[in-house]
Amino acid sequence: MDLNYSPEDRAFRAEVRRWLETNVPKQELPALEDRKAWHRRLYEAGYVGMLWPKAYGGWGTTPMRQAIVQDEMARVGAPPPINGLGIGFIGPTIIVHGTDWQKQRYLKKMLTAEEIWCQLYSEPNAGSDLASLKTRAEDQGDHFLVNGQKIWTSAGPIADWGILLARTDSKVAKHRGISCLLLNMRQPGVEVRPLKQITGHALFSEVFMTNARADRRDLIGAVGQGWEIAQTTLGYERGANSLGRVTRYAAAFHQLVRATRELRRGGRPLIEDPAVRAKMGRMFAELEVQRYAALRVLSALQNGESPGAASSITKLSYTEFEKRYYETALEILGPWGQLMSSREEFEDVDTSSGEPGTWATAFLWARAGTIYSGSSEIQKNIIGERVLGLPKEVRADRLKA
Amino acid sequence: MDFSFSPDQRLLRDSARAFLDEHAKPAAVRLLWDDPRGESEALWKEMAQLGWLGLALPEAYGGSGLGMLEAAILLHELGRAGYPGPYLPTLLAAAAIGAAGSEGQKARWLPAIATGEARASVALLDAELDWRPEATAMRAEKTGAGFALSGRKHFVPWAHVARVLLVPARAPEGLTLFLVDPGAGGLTQTPAQAMDPGTRWSTMTFERTPVGADAVLGAPGQAGPLLDALLRQGAVGAAAEMLGAARRCLDLSVEYAKVREQFGQPIGSFQAIRHKCAEMLLEVENSHSAVYYAAWALDARSEDHELAASVAKAYVGDAARRVCGESIQVHGGIGFTWEYDLHIYFKRAKALEAQYGDGDYHRELIVRRVAA
Ligand SMILES: Cc1cc2nc3c(=O)[nH]c(=O)nc-3n(C[C@H](O)[C@H](O)[C@H](O)COP(=O)(O)OP(=O)(O)OC[C@H]3O[C@@H](n4cnc5c(N)ncnc54)[C@H](O)[C@@H]3O)c2cc1C
Repeated sequence: MDLNYSPEDRAFRAEVRRWLETNVPKQELPALEDRKAWHRRLYEAGYVGMLWPKAYGGWGTTPMRQAIVQDEMARVGAPPPINGLGIGFIGPTIIVHGTDWQKQRYLKKMLTAEEIWCQLYSEPNAGSDLASLKTRAEDQGDHFLVNGQKIWTSAGPIADWGILLARTDSKVAKHRGISCLLLNMRQPGVEVRPLKQITGHALFSEVFMTNARADRRDLIGAVGQGWEIAQTTLGYERGANSLGRVTRYAAAFHQLVRATRELRRGGRPLIEDPAVRAKMGRMFAELEVQRYAALRVLSALQNGESPGAASSITKLSYTEFEKRYYETALEILGPWGQLMSSREEFEDVDTSSGEPGTWATAFLWARAGTIYSGSSEIQKNIIGERVLGLPKEVRADRLKA
Repeated sequence: MDFSFSPDQRLLRDSARAFLDEHAKPAAVRLLWDDPRGESEALWKEMAQLGWLGLALPEAYGGSGLGMLEAAILLHELGRAGYPGPYLPTLLAAAAIGAAGSEGQKARWLPAIATGEARASVALLDAELDWRPEATAMRAEKTGAGFALSGRKHFVPWAHVARVLLVPARAPEGLTLFLVDPGAGGLTQTPAQAMDPGTRWSTMTFERTPVGADAVLGAPGQAGPLLDALLRQGAVGAAAEMLGAARRCLDLSVEYAKVREQFGQPIGSFQAIRHKCAEMLLEVENSHSAVYYAAWALDARSEDHELAASVAKAYVGDAARRVCGESIQVHGGIGFTWEYDLHIYFKRAKALEAQYGDGDYHRELIVRRVAA
């Protein structure tokens, strides 16, 4: 066990730091076109698609280097790359299960954010119980005809393509009749309606598909293999390294320290109040533990171990932590923490979405992490069954099956 | 960067576990609970032979020259076994003697500790139970032959079996550490009956207890940094032991939840129980990261080693208390019986939570480091 970074890693970190110093945009980038341009610069510098094989336009480097880049970007509050769902999860799924044609056609443009991707899994009546989804894809020979509705689709309003789970056979057990398709979002049969989130932004959406068309060459794997393929996507989604996130939390902590020096109560700065100090001590201890845990995961990835179901522990840990973290911050800050636009230096923080915001947006965003990519309750089911080997729960749908 | 144990470290862990599974079974632990001495001479000698007592001592004094990481691996196993005895206080005293002792002091104590002849302990808390070294109230007056110590130390672990005690006191030069013979004149020991029968504490009353000038460890007036280092090692050591206790409780709970049936199904199939077990695992895994990160940091003297020690103690103290407590909940009535083993670990974790700086103390240290 040696937690020092190797000399090569340190040199790489210094190089990334220098690059960011000269290249990070000085102002926010609200326009999509500016975000795409920034993304492109990151990509060309070798900082996007770092784990992807070179053959598909990636950089074929190590989890360690990727973590270093994310960590350094978080340290300076650099705008993150876009197309995260595509690059993080959908692309790797295509790499594992896709055809050569699909790889040639989609991967490079995904990496460079020329085409933006979304994930069309959840439906109004199929969330945690994803396998009960109802959207239908009828086999028409050279194409599939898609009818149904998806919901909570992140990036839906800006997406060019989506990875879709749809039912191709309603006569077999529910998780056997599902297929996975790539769907062109820019066609008449696809209608996207933005949905406003509790943060006030509309980053997710509803997607209605009415006789939408998916070409046969856009079928991933075989007909009926969709459920298995979805497991790959979800595995990538939960197994992501969290070091960069933790660094963003740490940056927020330093903002909090600053705030507690400036804000006063009872004739003294908040930081001198023992009750505030106790809360801050607990927050920071938990934050550090998240960092150590992230290093442990990183070291395992680096040693070629795949975290498997244990990635549920990581996801559960940092998302639940994030909720407690911002709850405590808002307790300490009082109404200052609830402002939606910042007037003072200490009010700006990076939210877990990677976008800048205020304490209030970070606090609101923290509610999302324990719902998406499998809610905390679902993670605990997975940990109980697959990590601890506890007996499966008795469920009505299993009794029927 | 590598967070995994080396092959040697894995070997140490596996052999320690195998040894303790055989020689420190719960039944053996219970026998020691009823023993007035509370720990086993035979076991101590075996631990010496296995090299555990000299683990972190220099090779020149009969040790193996290993570090806090290996000590944490062992303490984890001792916690998992619920082993009662002065392993941790002896380790701490030995480390301080190794770090600051004169040639004579090292030659007198380190080989004796490594071979299992002598046990040692640390007497850190005065009546106000303030862990800050600067809060030390015990006085050391100059006498012709050395010093006379006056005051009272509370919750001194395993004082009744120790051959030497580390005692901080205020000398004219400032805060000073003394090596004290527990049998010295003017020193009385009052054992306290605590909740954990595997933790033996005494109150030590010093009434002008004479110690020689050669009993000073390090330079007079310079004990502050030594005590800080000792507390950090104590914090990480205690965290490792608590982690072991928590891991054992989790394992017992998971085994039980698979076989205990109610309402026609194993209780582990109920989400209320299964989710509790998942949360326990989460806290145990995070504690693992915290303990070994901190142990590594102390050995490597990394920039954040002081912080890491406090983080480990504050986090694992809370986590182990919750995990051990929830294991009783998972077991229901049987978990509340004296015959069932859970309370061995539950009580040990609680006893350690209060030692070498409790959560509040370490959280305050953390805030001082990160927010001044
Ligand atoms: C910000 C955000 C972005 C998202 N982006 C996308 C996206 O891009 N693409 C996409 O496909 N989806 C996306 N989702 C949807 C997300 O995956 C679902 O919300 C999630 O799977 C939960 O489903 P649900 O909302 O239907 O809640 P439900 O499944 O109805 O859950 C409601 C409650 O019941 C609990 N529950 C359900 N089943 C069980 C069980 N077996 N045991 C115990 N408790 C249970 C849940 O934990 C939850 O607390 C996003 C969600 C959010 C919040």
